[in-house]
Amino acid sequence: MMVIECIVNDKKYVLEVDPQERLLDVLRNHLGLLGTKEGCGEGECGACTVILDGKTVNSCLVLAGQAHNSVITTIEGVGNRQSPHPVQKAFVEVGAVQCGFCTPGMVLSAKNLLDKNPHPSDEEIGVALSGNLCRCTGYDKILRAVKLAAEEGK
Amino acid sequence: MKTEVVGSRALREDSWGKVFGQTKFPADVNLPNQIYGVVVRSPHPHARILNINSEEAMKLEGVAVVLTANDVPHNSHGVLFRDQPVIADYVRMVGDPVAVVGGETMEIAREAAERIRVDYEILPAIFDPEEAMKPEVPPLHPELQSTNVLYHLPIRRGSMEEGWAKADVVVEQVYKTQHVDHAFLQPEAVLAYLDERGHMVVQTATQYAHYDRGEIAHALGFRYSQVQVKTLAVGGAFGGREDISLQIIAALLALKTQRPVKMENTREESFYSHSKRHPMTMYYKTGAAKDGKLVAMQAKIIGDAGAYSSWSINVLRKSAVHATGPYEIPNVEIDSFAVFTNNPYTGAMRGFGAAQTVLAYESQMDLLAKKLGISPLEIRLRNCFQVGSITATGQELTSSVPLDQCLAKIAPYFRREVETP
Amino acid sequence: MKKRGIGLGCAWYGTGYGNGFPDVSSAFVEIHDDGSATVLTGAVDVGQGSNSIFAQIAAEELGLRAEDICVNTADTDVTPDSGTSAATRQTYNTGNAVLKAVRQAKSRLLIYAAREFSCPTPEGIELKSGYIGVKGDPSRRMILGDMVFKARLNGERLISAESSTARSTPVDLTTGQGAPYWPYSFGCQAAEVEVDTETGKVKVLKVIAVHDVGKALNPTQVEGQIAGGVTQGIGYALLEELELQKGMIKNPAFSSYLIPTALDVPKIEAYFVEEAEESGPYGAKGLGEPAMLPTVAAVINAIDDAVGVRITSLPATPEKILQALAEKKEELG
Ligand code: FES
Ligand code: FES
Repeated sequence: MMVIECIVNDKKYVLEVDPQERLLDVLRNHLGLLGTKEGCGEGECGACTVILDGKTVNSCLVLAGQAHNSVITTIEGVGNRQSPHPVQKAFVEVGAVQCGFCTPGMVLSAKNLLDKNPHPSDEEIGVALSGNLCRCTGYDKILRAVKLAAEEGK
Repeated sequence: MKTEVVGSRALREDSWGKVFGQTKFPADVNLPNQIYGVVVRSPHPHARILNINSEEAMKLEGVAVVLTANDVPHNSHGVLFRDQPVIADYVRMVGDPVAVVGGETMEIAREAAERIRVDYEILPAIFDPEEAMKPEVPPLHPELQSTNVLYHLPIRRGSMEEGWAKADVVVEQVYKTQHVDHAFLQPEAVLAYLDERGHMVVQTATQYAHYDRGEIAHALGFRYSQVQVKTLAVGGAFGGREDISLQIIAALLALKTQRPVKMENTREESFYSHSKRHPMTMYYKTGAAKDGKLVAMQAKIIGDAGAYSSWSINVLRKSAVHATGPYEIPNVEIDSFAVFTNNPYTGAMRGFGAAQTVLAYESQMDLLAKKLGISPLEIRLRNCFQVGSITATGQELTSSVPLDQCLAKIAPYFRREVETP
Repeated sequence: MKKRGIGLGCAWYGTGYGNGFPDVSSAFVEIHDDGSATVLTGAVDVGQGSNSIFAQIAAEELGLRAEDICVNTADTDVTPDSGTSAATRQTYNTGNAVLKAVRQAKSRLLIYAAREFSCPTPEGIELKSGYIGVKGDPSRRMILGDMVFKARLNGERLISAESSTARSTPVDLTTGQGAPYWPYSFGCQAAEVEVDTETGKVKVLKVIAVHDVGKALNPTQVEGQIAGGVTQGIGYALLEELELQKGMIKNPAFSSYLIPTALDVPKIEAYFVEEAEESGPYGAKGLGEPAMLPTVAAVINAIDDAVGVRITSLPATPEKILQALAEKKEELG
């Protein structure tokens, strides 16, 4: 076991974890942040996406030990009903959500893209989301939603 | 009719919970004191189980229970026929569940599952449906059919002799489609427990809660009124959540241990615990007259049902009924077969038998158009169904057949593109 | 060399269980004292959005907004059986059941309100924008909730249970003759592809999809079904294949079983044709499955148009295309 310190959604945590544990399990099981999903466990689907030190990562591939001293944002740290993030609002308005299992990861990838690059091209949006699989929507509305969120941010 | 809300772009209420990560999928619910269930699956496609030794598994601290076929009160389930075991003592495909472990943690349960020794008597297996359908091949389900042909539907309409006589051009071709997985993003997961009423509560993601309830009640020997299936958010389905996956096993573990049970598939386990899209081999022969009108079609469609019947009868029926495509053909001979093999079982998937035949009938249309020297659009316009058309099964289409309108909408784009290569 | 081509695919799809099997959906409805309402049905929303379709139907009938309707589904202790969320049947079948149930509960309210407003026939009563009143007489109008409350005080209970059953007949087992499905749904798609003759890779550039939906109860959701279907169709045509070796799955992972990503999808233009199906709720029929059907044909036909080879087995992998191109060269050469 080891003790790690990290900031998750603006809150500081000191956690005793097995260093081999995946960040995904730390978030879900230790912190009860169940918005981070597991779709494959091998870094292919992006359902477990979180933002770690400003970069999107697949939390199923990050070991707890690696999260020591990091700053993490999960979906629970992005917007809420009173003030949804523009990406969240756009997803709902455009109809980019079907089953919703990919949605938290998609929202985080899109948010991180817009944080870095507020006016991305279609191509850049596609690349930013290419690590997040969606089996329901065909991506069409998701891409449109990200574009809309970017435009509204202008 | 003028409507206000219907026809509007009303927002989905559920999408808010989903964008905030609040929506509960089955993997997201837990109960205090729950144990974790893991399934041991057969690595063999066809085998009889001689013995299961769980001693080494039980020695591991934190293993609550190991269940095998003998522990299931009524060991069968299935959408059409109950020909699929909850826990198999006779294996018909790789991935059949042969034992189930309940442990204090997921890790313990997984380790215990590794320690279970199963002795198999390996039996000859068959993977090619056209081989499997031969009468001399021993049937996989003698209780259902005396051969591996689970279903054969012939469709006969008009006279083939007359049809071929009228055909100025004929195209003959074999088409093949593959096994496909639904690949819904959320792997199967279940939370099962006996509640304060003594009722079995199963929280899961399914396409049909009431069906699941019936199968759980049947397998466990409960009344329907004592089983509650509560559907949580479903992470995509596409047909892959029609058959039972983990629901009965989880409920059985809960019943045997009197503790809440959580089960969660890995992606790899998920591939083994639901059906697949039927691969089909389709032998097509289609004839048209000089004026571009279809006059005859003959098709033989062979679908691989895999190890269990699931929806195969309905799927191959749908293939046959839709085999002509949306076109009037007066002379038709179609034979559609569902055949058991030791491949993963196949069942419902978006398109349900009508998805495979599209490859065949629409390829035939283009090939015929080329031979006739008319455009792909033109041959379809000359043959497509309208109100009053009669299908290959003799059904009259009485209303709402706007394929011509659909084609009209697509035509300008299509013509333009074709003209400027 | 990169070559472009365009292909057309049409498809049809008989919705519902079919073949004479009882295809029944049920719904319970309660209109509450404040005029809002609850719909209970067994239909599972698997992500396609059926719950909000049912809310829209109930809201339409009651002159409310979709958000005024609570839709609770697929809990066997609470909701009636509505069949499976498959066969493209929930909008049509359960939509019909919800519509019938709402109308049944509403009909008692109409009768009561007609008396209150001294209108000799309930047909003279309308529910609109949160109000109930007499058609053409704005002086006789009341907030819907107030009327419901009044009606309940006087012993009216605005609850209902209804079912709807789709029509079909079994096919004859020797001739296949019968009317196995109803209604049928139609559609066509055009795909524009680019084939790289060196690598055999196919890129789908654009898909135009036109589908017959009877009536689009929610255009956003129709478009969503079409885009999702087209993308699954592209996966079916070009990427997806379970590799089996003696019944063992060799690629049970997303790293080896490839499904389309955001980079694999083309521009999708979705259109729909609305020719009401008289048996459907507001003329609607289902779209879930039909949306993916024509894609595979459009793509395969487009490949032929681009490079003149006919792929007859799915998926159309680069290897198959290169092989077909080589065979063609040999034939010509
Ligand atoms: S669960 Fe981490 S990428 Fe799929
Ligand atoms: S909405 Fe279902 S996977 Fe994206």
